[in-house]
Amino acid sequence: MTDFLIGLFLASLIAALFTTRLYRLLLWYSLNSLMLGLLALGIGRNIDDNAMILTGIVTIVLKAIAIPYVLKNLSQKFNFIRHIVPEIKVQYAIMLVPAILVFTFYLSEPIVDMIHTNANYVAISISSLFLSLLLMIEHKNVAPKIIGFLSMENALFLLGVTATDGMPMLVELGIFFDLLMAIVVINLLFHKEELQI
Amino acid sequence: MMLTLLLLPAVIMFVVSFVKQERVKYLLAFTSFMILIPIVKLFLLSKPYNILGSYLIADELDTYIFLVSSIVGIGVTLALLTLDKHVKVSPNAYRRFYRFFAIFWVGLIFSILSNHMGIYWIGLELATLSTVYMIKTNYTAAAHKEAWNYMIVGAIAISLVLFGIILMYASAKPILGEEAMQFDVLLAHAKDIPSPFLFEMGFAITTIGMFVKMGFFPMNLWLANIERASFYPVAALFSGILESAVIIGFFRFSKIAMEVNYDHLFIFVFVYTLLTIFIVSFLIYRAKDFMRLFSLSGVEHMALIVMFWVSGAPFAALLHFGAHAFLKPALFLSSGVLESNGKYKIAGALKGFVGIKGNTFLFLVSLFLLAIISLPPSPMFFSELYGFGAMITTAKESNHILAMIGAILVLLILLSLIFYRFISIYQSMKYEGETKEKDVYWSEVVALIVFSVALLALIFPQTLEYLDSIS
Repeated sequence: MTDFLIGLFLASLIAALFTTRLYRLLLWYSLNSLMLGLLALGIGRNIDDNAMILTGIVTIVLKAIAIPYVLKNLSQKFNFIRHIVPEIKVQYAIMLVPAILVFTFYLSEPIVDMIHTNANYVAISISSLFLSLLLMIEHKNVAPKIIGFLSMENALFLLGVTATDGMPMLVELGIFFDLLMAIVVINLLFHKEELQI
Repeated sequence: MMLTLLLLPAVIMFVVSFVKQERVKYLLAFTSFMILIPIVKLFLLSKPYNILGSYLIADELDTYIFLVSSIVGIGVTLALLTLDKHVKVSPNAYRRFYRFFAIFWVGLIFSILSNHMGIYWIGLELATLSTVYMIKTNYTAAAHKEAWNYMIVGAIAISLVLFGIILMYASAKPILGEEAMQFDVLLAHAKDIPSPFLFEMGFAITTIGMFVKMGFFPMNLWLANIERASFYPVAALFSGILESAVIIGFFRFSKIAMEVNYDHLFIFVFVYTLLTIFIVSFLIYRAKDFMRLFSLSGVEHMALIVMFWVSGAPFAALLHFGAHAFLKPALFLSSGVLESNGKYKIAGALKGFVGIKGNTFLFLVSLFLLAIISLPPSPMFFSELYGFGAMITTAKESNHILAMIGAILVLLILLSLIFYRFISIYQSMKYEGETKEKDVYWSEVVALIVFSVALLALIFPQTLEYLDSIS
């Protein structure tokens, strides 16, 4: 089940890279977060870790539902351009994605014997980080860059869940708090304020 | 109790920033002074002192860095009193600036005093995010663009830091459990870490994240562009406080990495910083305005601090850090006055200051400009002497003395280039261009006096003794 969810996590991120519509991108991000939340719930149940189960629930509520909803509202409020064409052509991106995957699996080879969990999970986390960076690079518009940043956060979370069987609860909550703060700042950045002097 | 005292000024500042009255700015500036009370108390307590269990611990190192950051905070808030005299800022934006400054301060308290990698990161992220809005206080298209740039590049940098932290945590968790997140526990068991490769990979990623945040190679210009686009107190906060929070993280992580494998750490960091100074010295040579000049010079000094630290000269690194933390914000705040009669004009910038205020300002700015290029008796002069000496000592022990002498020679050539540029700029400021009368206000002069007294205090025997005890 874990492998299946991680596969879907990666697939939703790759699909996001080729999306040309903003709302579809939000949907892929939401699915990506949903897979992450389910993964945390699954692993938490397997190792009987209540903190991780709670983290999984918060992830689903916050990242899979609340953040995409807020971003969709923001996009309507500030009239975002919804047709988002990646700067990197599809034919190149389609070669770049497997290259990143192969590279990260190669990179994680020396740590196979060092961690008790599946080293491939670490490889997928690192590749998700690179793919999220690619998402930020390949778009000129701000909205996909924000999604790229949020996907990076998901990649980090995946690493935390798979490589360490979950970070301490305090850290997880702190990261969620920072994420909320990031959304507040993003919201403020979109406001076109008038100069009143 | 101590945590409440530490957080209280930030909370008051946050609440007061909602009051819509002109005079509230005096109260906001006064609030920053309150932070000195818990710091003095921290200095008097025996250390390590547990502020919040094993999560927040005050030791000699973080108390020193916290004190330096607080003095910078006080100086900046003093200069903020007359921000509207030099730039166009709405009262709304001014109050919101303070609101985010309060959040920034909370983030710093957690990151500087943390003994926990996770809490350190949370504090740093909070401080980073709050500065995004501070950049946007300047309502210009350039500042808006740079605020987004900062948001994106800052987010990438900070994500790399967390990514590395998770890997380091994963490397030690099998033997230490959740305590693998604590700096002191990790340091005590550094040699027992079952997978040093994983730790080193994590350390390298975290370090790159921190270096990106400090404007090291290859991201040398992003910070300079941001500081150029935002109001000058933002640049002062970046160089004097935010970078302190980043550098203390590097100090803590590198102490553990030194125990794991010193040679790997040394080569990686030394080459990286040398490359950074190489690029930055040429950028400084071409800099045409104060902000970029001071910003790039800040990158150079941070690189030197890191270099001294890994070369086995923590004393030199800490002295250099303190001097940089006082000098750079002072210069950034001065640039607000120097540029108020027309941006980017270097020629004649030091002309036209009259009266006691003007002449004091002129004297102090000249002093800071000459101190930043390490002219004696600047603390930077002593720190560089100690730092280069330590590099030679380290090289002697590792049988790479010739390579090190070569590296020091390259460094000296690059530093001479920077020295030459600063002297040339100073001469242009003083002897070229037209004389136009410039306005300078008491709050700015007092802020500069605070920085100069702090700078002077750095070379007191007691301070040097304290820094020596940390190292």
